[in-house]
Amino acid sequence: MKRHQRNRIIGGALLICFVSAALLGRVWTPFDPMRIDLRSKLQAPGAVHWLGTDEFGRDVLSRLMAAAGTSVSISLTTVALAVLAGVTLGVLAGYARGWTDRIIMALNNAMLAFPSMLLALALLSITGANIYGIILALGLAYTPSIVRVVRGSVLSLREREFIEASRVMGNSPAYTMARHILPNCLGPVIVLATSMFGSVLLTESALSFLGLGVPPPAPTWGNMLASARPHIAEAMWLGIFPGLCISLSLLGINLFGDAIRDRFDPRMRGL
Amino acid sequence: MTFPRTLWRAFISSIAIGLPGLAAANTLTVQITADIRSSQPGINRDAGTDSVMLNVVEGLVAAGEKGEIRPMLAKSWSISPDGRTYTFTLREGVKFHNGETMTADDVVFSLQKLIGHPEFSCKTFFDGSRDAKVESIAASGPDTVVITLDRPDAMLLNYMAQSQCGSTGIVHRASFNDDGSWKAPIATGPFTFGEWKRGEGLTLRKFADYSITGDKPDGYGGRKDVLVDAVKYVVVPDTATAVAGLRSGALDVLPYLPPGEAAKLKDDKAFTVVAAPHGGLVTMLFQTGDPLMSNIAMRRAVIAALDTPQIVDAVTYGLGVPNNSLVASGSFYHTAAQDKGYLHDPAAVPALLKAAGYKGEKINILTNRRSAINYDTAVIAQAMLQSAGINADIEVLEWASQLDRFNSGKYQIMAFNYSNRTDPALAYQTVVGSKAKKANAIWDDQEVSALVNTALQEADPARRQAIFDDLHARFLDQVPLVMLANGLDVGVSGPKVKGYRTWQGFARFWGVERSE
Amino acid sequence: MLKFAFTRLLSAIPTLFIVSVAVFGLIRLIPGDPASLMLGDLADADALAAARKAMGLDQPVPVQFAIWLGNVVQGDLGRSVLNGQPVLDLVWHRFTTSAQMVLIAVGLSVLLAVPLGMAAAWRQNSSLDLAIVAMSTLLLSIPTFWLGLMILLAFGLKLGWLPVLGYVSVADNPISGIIYLVMPVMTLVLHEVGIIVRMARASTLDVLRLDYITHARAKGLSESAVLMRHAARNAFGPTWTLIGLILGNLLGGVAVVETVFTIPGLGRLIVDSIYARDYAVVQGCLLFVALTYLFVNLLVDLLYPLFDPRVTAE
Repeated sequence: MKRHQRNRIIGGALLICFVSAALLGRVWTPFDPMRIDLRSKLQAPGAVHWLGTDEFGRDVLSRLMAAAGTSVSISLTTVALAVLAGVTLGVLAGYARGWTDRIIMALNNAMLAFPSMLLALALLSITGANIYGIILALGLAYTPSIVRVVRGSVLSLREREFIEASRVMGNSPAYTMARHILPNCLGPVIVLATSMFGSVLLTESALSFLGLGVPPPAPTWGNMLASARPHIAEAMWLGIFPGLCISLSLLGINLFGDAIRDRFDPRMRGL
Repeated sequence: MTFPRTLWRAFISSIAIGLPGLAAANTLTVQITADIRSSQPGINRDAGTDSVMLNVVEGLVAAGEKGEIRPMLAKSWSISPDGRTYTFTLREGVKFHNGETMTADDVVFSLQKLIGHPEFSCKTFFDGSRDAKVESIAASGPDTVVITLDRPDAMLLNYMAQSQCGSTGIVHRASFNDDGSWKAPIATGPFTFGEWKRGEGLTLRKFADYSITGDKPDGYGGRKDVLVDAVKYVVVPDTATAVAGLRSGALDVLPYLPPGEAAKLKDDKAFTVVAAPHGGLVTMLFQTGDPLMSNIAMRRAVIAALDTPQIVDAVTYGLGVPNNSLVASGSFYHTAAQDKGYLHDPAAVPALLKAAGYKGEKINILTNRRSAINYDTAVIAQAMLQSAGINADIEVLEWASQLDRFNSGKYQIMAFNYSNRTDPALAYQTVVGSKAKKANAIWDDQEVSALVNTALQEADPARRQAIFDDLHARFLDQVPLVMLANGLDVGVSGPKVKGYRTWQGFARFWGVERSE
Repeated sequence: MLKFAFTRLLSAIPTLFIVSVAVFGLIRLIPGDPASLMLGDLADADALAAARKAMGLDQPVPVQFAIWLGNVVQGDLGRSVLNGQPVLDLVWHRFTTSAQMVLIAVGLSVLLAVPLGMAAAWRQNSSLDLAIVAMSTLLLSIPTFWLGLMILLAFGLKLGWLPVLGYVSVADNPISGIIYLVMPVMTLVLHEVGIIVRMARASTLDVLRLDYITHARAKGLSESAVLMRHAARNAFGPTWTLIGLILGNLLGGVAVVETVFTIPGLGRLIVDSIYARDYAVVQGCLLFVALTYLFVNLLVDLLYPLFDPRVTAE
């Protein structure tokens, strides 16, 4: 019991830290995160630039703060998109069965086998290289695993007595799905979604490394990390700080996510 | 503590020696960022492929150190008074890699096969669609080859020497299979083509019977002394890995390094950084057909807002030479008149913007991450434009997508590099043209087109100089694009290597020594 | 069991068809084509048209698809426009390269992560548990391109224990092949361990709460006997599913690790071919990846009953 509380507190505190940094970054940063000053490039952390400057002389702390907003919103929207699409399709497939199920699952398996790289490239070329393209691509890439999980729990749920009862009472399938099935399959979705937040940050980073990702100069933790890589030998801090941001926010989300999972898992409540 | 480590290293190196390809006594190991596309010169190629293959193949003529035409397999040539017939006299006793002696028939066979190939990348230079059409290639005697054109063409030898055309390299019949398909190059160059492990790399070996000519290295012509037994190219796509490889001694030469990486190695005594500008163009292109950018005052405002020498200095880490003229800074034609450049004048920007009727519309700068120079140029230019009150925005595209936008002309401003152009007239020909006919043309002006065509036909240097000076004045006035500097390729060689130089962006491995 | 495998394979056909259509469409939707890439800034309209014709790109897309599909059914996946190699050879060669690395890495990860995860669950709430959880989260959150470079700089350059670059197939020379694999495998293991530890811990926790464990404990069995004989076997089920997913994912390419360690694997082939618009290779690779993915999933489902007797493969 104690550990759950401790983890929830640590996780929550970390998350609050990042969210408030992100909010603060919207209205105030120590320097303009986009301002280039070629005379003071690659400065080590010091009194003026607390976390140093990057290869264009931009202030790292300001960029991290500005990036927090972008990274967190990319993460949130991507996961929200994936959950929305995944739950809808999963419930539909699991509840309707038959051809609807078969078609959805065939599409789903195809999506699972599809590299997110190609998806990102294709979508970015349609939407233009911007944040929306990334969100759409990653959202699509993360949807199929949610569909799988949701469909699985719906399949076992639909055989349960209270669903049967709802049907017998003459409720429409839509009502039954929304009122009875949906709330009961949210537990595993929440677990999955929390683990996705961090994964989105990393995937965005890997896309930046491979030359895609959110177009600079708008900073994200991912593209800061990717563009810091050539300077690993002489300017370690350029990579360490965004890396720490990703690590700590991930730790926060995971600890918090475990705590939420325990709340939603009926077997855990007694413990 | 050091003992086990030494032992382990010895163990590792003994294993390394056991590997095929590393066993050769004196092998120079060189990074390539991507595998070569094919081993057939001029066909299915890119710049990296050319750079490898031109160590293996040679043409009748070659480009010299300053871009002038030098003899290679031909020892001399003459041009008929009407400018339509070129007669080449071949060098005697030149051996192919298979030991056969080169004859005029071999040359005719090889040239006909290449020029007639549907996928020859320089097809349009020789079939009449750009310049003259090659009407016939024939042997007249054992060491004379005659090329006849349908009209005079002062550029023919230039085209023949171009790297994109594989230097119209001469290969032996045995380079082809019986069905006429390509096998592997049996040519005349100082290196023979060895094993090619696709996706991993390839090895070139010293050609013992190479017939040396000339007294000193001179571009792709001149003397070619091979001082190593073999050159092993390894595909290393990641720059950070390549630098680690250089430091550990696993790689001897990194021929193409982003300037930022090279600048870091410059202060280290163990490494030799070589950088030389070539005839390529580092630019920011304006789409002069765009509603906003078609306005000359708008383009002048952008120019006034940009501190181009500072951009060049920053993006090349001090290795580049700013040049606002399309005539390359290393060219014979780059005189004082060509030194006149853009005026950085932020104070003049508001008036120019007012004259252009600019109301803060967003201007999109396209760039890519493949070229560090393009990317950094866009980032810095955007900041300069923003601070001058021009609402510029960056869009980073993957290279193939950007190339597509370049070819279709769909952009406002684009950071773009042109590959090496060996002659100023060719540099102008690249950017000048009618947008209606050629969507990737930048500078659409009939008078200018006429001048460029004259320069292409003209052989007299003084008259050409006058044309280039006239063109440059018009270029500064109309600002169809921002010319920043000539192309820059930066290479670095490790402590064991002596004599590696970069030239026109190519990695040549004759005259390069490697000590054990 | 056989019938199950057969129906599963049959049901894979529509999935493969969807993958083919989607890949074919998407790769052509992306701007840029191999002809213009080959010609670079030398392109003019005539040269471009000629090059496109030579590559068969002048046909309408549905016609191109029909031609391609017809060839695939006959076992011909076409040739690479980049270097003229037959796609099937290319894909198979690159796949075996990646597979060596991935199989070793996943094997090691499982050997390392499952005991760690079980230990964490067994000593739940202890500082050992917290340390394992924190460590795995940390490993999980370091991008592989960063982790790989650190390992490369440390072991390859600073210590000089391992070769910085190069690659030899294990089949050609087992000893040096393995030496070249050490760093990439280490990178992958460190990353995957993070994921598997978490799953192993969670599923062990679930099992430890079940009645029969309490029963076993009540019988007076030692903790280690309970853990090994009863919990381990049953807790491995969900972890096994995850391992299948990881394996399927990794076999489909580990582009980043392959780029850092200069390994000519499938992941890099896919990335390079997408950049080069090498249509035939991209299509061939993705078809192959989809097939691998379905095959691994089938294998996982068939073997699942071994780990969890409550589940049958039907």
